[in-house]
Amino acid sequence: MSVNFERIEAVFNQAVEFRPDERAAFLAGACDGDAELRAKVQAMLQAHEGAEGFLPPEPRKQAPAGPIAEQPGDRIGHYKLLQQIGEGGCRIVYMAEQERPLRRRVALKIIKLGMDTKAVVARFEAERQALALMDHPNIAKVLDAGATETGRPYFVMELVRGVKITDYCDQNHLPTPQRLDLFILVCRAIQHAHQKGIIHRDIKPSNILVTINDGVPVPKVIDFGIAKATQGRLTDQTLFTAFEQFIGTPAYMSPEQAAMTSLDVDTRSDIYSLGVLLYELLTGQTPFDTKELLAAGLDEMRRTICEKEPLRPSTRLRRTALATPGSPLATRHSPPTWIGS
Amino acid sequence: MTQILEAVGAGEQHAADKLLPLVYEELRRLAAARMAKEAPGQTLQPTALVHEAWLRLVGSGHYHWNSRGHFFAAAAEAMRRILIDRARKRGRARHGYGLVRLDLSQVDVALTSDDDLLLRVDEALDKLAKEAPDQAQLVKLRFFAGLSIPAAAAAALGIAPATANRRWAVARAWLFTELQAAG
Repeated sequence: MSVNFERIEAVFNQAVEFRPDERAAFLAGACDGDAELRAKVQAMLQAHEGAEGFLPPEPRKQAPAGPIAEQPGDRIGHYKLLQQIGEGGCRIVYMAEQERPLRRRVALKIIKLGMDTKAVVARFEAERQALALMDHPNIAKVLDAGATETGRPYFVMELVRGVKITDYCDQNHLPTPQRLDLFILVCRAIQHAHQKGIIHRDIKPSNILVTINDGVPVPKVIDFGIAKATQGRLTDQTLFTAFEQFIGTPAYMSPEQAAMTSLDVDTRSDIYSLGVLLYELLTGQTPFDTKELLAAGLDEMRRTICEKEPLRPSTRLRRTALATPGSPLATRHSPPTWIGS
Repeated sequence: MTQILEAVGAGEQHAADKLLPLVYEELRRLAAARMAKEAPGQTLQPTALVHEAWLRLVGSGHYHWNSRGHFFAAAAEAMRRILIDRARKRGRARHGYGLVRLDLSQVDVALTSDDDLLLRVDEALDKLAKEAPDQAQLVKLRFFAGLSIPAAAAAALGIAPATANRRWAVARAWLFTELQAAG
């Protein structure tokens, strides 16, 4: 390469900042008579603007030539698929209707077509068995399991119809004592899991739905260590590498998860995440802001979670209440009564 | 394997060198097995292959992102060698590689690319690596291992997504012009 790459890169990076019709003028100046440099950058700019099919940033998800993924209306076992409600790297979750022995709506989780390698199947099975061990009113239950004709495993869970615990509390203007009541139930659920030797690893509001049973709000923990990414905003998504090496959800990750040492995390990591949940239930915000954590890259994220001291909840609440008078938070912070209740 | 990954995470260069042959061997076996089963027209996803290799070699422990980054880099490089070797072998039975005009409109991942394209990309990558190793690394991760830009690639390299996007824009544009020129 006779033209120095560094120069090409520099000119290119500057040129893209200009509007397409202004670039010619910029290039004339920046290349200063170097015809080769100018030709190269011009070609690159054309590729940058025009060549969409060439190496798009996301590799194309190519459907296998054989049967396509299950569609709503298809049957798996005696479950009729109604709609997709979640998706992870290896798995899909559908809302389905059970037909026998009784009619009810359930959540059906199945490994994606083409992803059923031995190792993935083994992990899927292990998680199903872990879930089956648990029996608690605040944990979604496993109801059934099976495999498709081609041998792809699936399992069926209690369908939890509800909203995220944080949304539930805000929408119903719950005062602090009632928020704490719900939180205590969640703690009991996690305690139950820990006693069975299971660590959740991904405790956050979207994994705790509140449903109403006979007029009583019941929080339910879903998705134990299961790969899941709902169709939500990036801030709410659990981070994975391309290979499902689970990283966690930035705002809820414990320091040991953030440090990502080779030691496996233990139950204390769940306790930390419960702490973050409590913080959010009481103040309306997480200790660290997700957007800020994500913006700086993994190393900075790790440092923040492990080393930075978050604002104390009382301070956070006071500041937010002062900034937005009349918000639901303002009613929670009213000195003597708040502290006394 | 775990020890090697931990050593790599701690920054030991010798460990990184040991990693490639192990990953290469595992991927070669997996790829051979899968490609033998492969029905004509059925596609193979590089991420699924590398995922499998990871699970088999490493299991499900948590590793420092730096160790994982090295694994992915090794996996991408291993994939490259496997596919280029295969392309070269097949090329011997054909006449005149290098005279075919390349279709660049649908380039996605190495596993689904023509031999001619693979060989040209390989050449171009060598060239790029000499002047801009960071860019070359990004191209390898995207093309050979199928990692998405910026999310997966940035996570593997431990850089900010914005940095990955900037670097990628240059690398991709450069690669396109380079391939066009050779065609």
